[in-house]
Amino acid sequence: MLKRLSLLCAIVIAGCTSGKSNNPDSTAAASAGLTGAGSTFINPIMTHWASEYPKDGGISINYQSVGSGAGINNLIDHTVDFAGSDAPMNADELARAKAPVIHVPAVIGAVCVGYNVNGVSTGLKLSSQVIADIFLGKIQYWNDKAIASANAGVKLPHEKIFTAHRSDGSGTTAIFTDYLSKVSPEWKSKVGQGKTVSWPEGGLGGKGNAGVAEILKQHANSIGYVELAYAAQNNIAYASVQNAAGNFVAPSSESAAAAAEAFPMPDNMTAMITNTSAAQGYPITGFTWLITYKDGPKADAVKKFIAWATTKGQADCKALYYAPIPQSVAAAVAAQLGTSSAAK
Amino acid sequence: MTIAESSFRSTGRSRFRRSLSAFMAGLSIAAAIIACVALLSVLVYIVINGIGSISLSTFTEGPVPQGQPGGGLRNGIVGTLILMSIGSVIGLPIGILGGVYQLETNTTFSRTLRFFTDVLNSIPSIVMGLFAYLIVVLPVAAFSPGHAFSAFAGGVALGFLMIPTVMRTTEEILRLVPTTLRDASLALGASRWRTTWSVVLPAARGGIVTGVLLALARIAGETAPLLFTAFGNLDFNVRLDHPIDALPLNIFNYATSPYENLHHLALAGAIILLAIILILSLAARYALRGQTME
Repeated sequence: MLKRLSLLCAIVIAGCTSGKSNNPDSTAAASAGLTGAGSTFINPIMTHWASEYPKDGGISINYQSVGSGAGINNLIDHTVDFAGSDAPMNADELARAKAPVIHVPAVIGAVCVGYNVNGVSTGLKLSSQVIADIFLGKIQYWNDKAIASANAGVKLPHEKIFTAHRSDGSGTTAIFTDYLSKVSPEWKSKVGQGKTVSWPEGGLGGKGNAGVAEILKQHANSIGYVELAYAAQNNIAYASVQNAAGNFVAPSSESAAAAAEAFPMPDNMTAMITNTSAAQGYPITGFTWLITYKDGPKADAVKKFIAWATTKGQADCKALYYAPIPQSVAAAVAAQLGTSSAAK
Repeated sequence: MTIAESSFRSTGRSRFRRSLSAFMAGLSIAAAIIACVALLSVLVYIVINGIGSISLSTFTEGPVPQGQPGGGLRNGIVGTLILMSIGSVIGLPIGILGGVYQLETNTTFSRTLRFFTDVLNSIPSIVMGLFAYLIVVLPVAAFSPGHAFSAFAGGVALGFLMIPTVMRTTEEILRLVPTTLRDASLALGASRWRTTWSVVLPAARGGIVTGVLLALARIAGETAPLLFTAFGNLDFNVRLDHPIDALPLNIFNYATSPYENLHHLALAGAIILLAIILILSLAARYALRGQTME
């Protein structure tokens, strides 16, 4: 009887040690990998980069889309090598980080206003005022006059509007609320801007862009904001939004790029680019930054990956509905990555 | 029920008792059937919806870039097996030895320990994850920046979750071993530890294995404590000091996403997780066939 028991023990122990003995073989391949976390906004292209970078001679990249807020916290705790965020770190976060960080703009993306209304396809025209009023709870029904007047010929149902938003700390929320704060004084005073806000209309919260996109797919008469790739890849209808110049513009790689052109890039690289003045620019647009420490044992490896992503990696932007960073910004990024590594 | 059915004189009082008894028996049967139906409908739903999603590539491929079709659960399957192994290495010796101690001694100290074991048993798994995050992940991060999430940290969280379950079941099973066995062994001149090791533990083996399986089944599906310890990994990893993927993490992330291929993978993952637990339990039964005492 004891023999059987010890046999079982031996099997268990053998199983465990054989797991450990695999270590030396894989050391060379895996030990130099980078870990990143944060923005779900950038996840479609980030997972693409993670699969392409090693093929181009780079090291392995493990990126987990936990949300911009969680990613920044991970960076502050030093549990990851870099964070992805669609909102720059705020003063409080910078103070907690203790060591100097760099923000590198990696791509430009559009936050689309997605909806699921039976019979209404992509291209519903929404003004900034209407979007603010819907999320403030002032417009309750899809066939409200404010929506219908801009959409002659579209048959809108008399159904209650169901709003969806992010439940986690989100850079996408930061871009969306930054835009609403610029276009609606009422929004600015009542709700404000941030990675998390208290939603006046209530509604349903989803985790990550993926969570909100899933809500939009599942719930009829819903409206919510997601990064464009999530809507486009999942056949979710999205609105054309009226920009500052008065034009209704659909979110796209091109209109996001046009929006960014209207803004100068400050030295710290942390421009918010919502409510653009460009005539063909989509107004709810933002940069996603890759954020990392200026110095550190793996700073060079991280910068090397970011340099690749902001040069060769940009080629894949359009297929995934992002816009590449403008030439002027790319030059500044190269200088930023070059100078900081030279200073080290 | 048997008392109610036995041949009392059919007075009004006994009729009332009998019908009350039948009524309560009916409620119990109904409850048991509802429980079985719930269990079966979960199994049937998962299997019917997910079986078509399982193919060879589910086992041989890792995740694909988001938005692309295909992909597999290789990283999660291997990761879950590794995490369960680490959890067992930490949880089983402590749990079983602790259970032996709690039964074989009966002091104020061991009674206090038992109370704390019961408290430990009721700690939510996410709190255990937070604990592992604080004692493993953050200290490692301070020592080696960017290198903090690891399979080991996940295994610690799971191992600690196993301890109270294993400890409590071990103790309960050992309690069933007849005192006469112990007395006989001691009377033959065996020492206390020899009695426990060679007589009591072998006699209770089947029950202990059942307890271990329950604990393993519990941790196999844990998601919350892995979110900020094992973290997940896009790459295939078997190193204990690197982030590692796990099936429950995959199921959680994929099921809430809007992508069709990921929905299929989530269902496939659920079936594979069930299968792992089933195979484990059958294997243990087979290894101990004919010797169970529960």
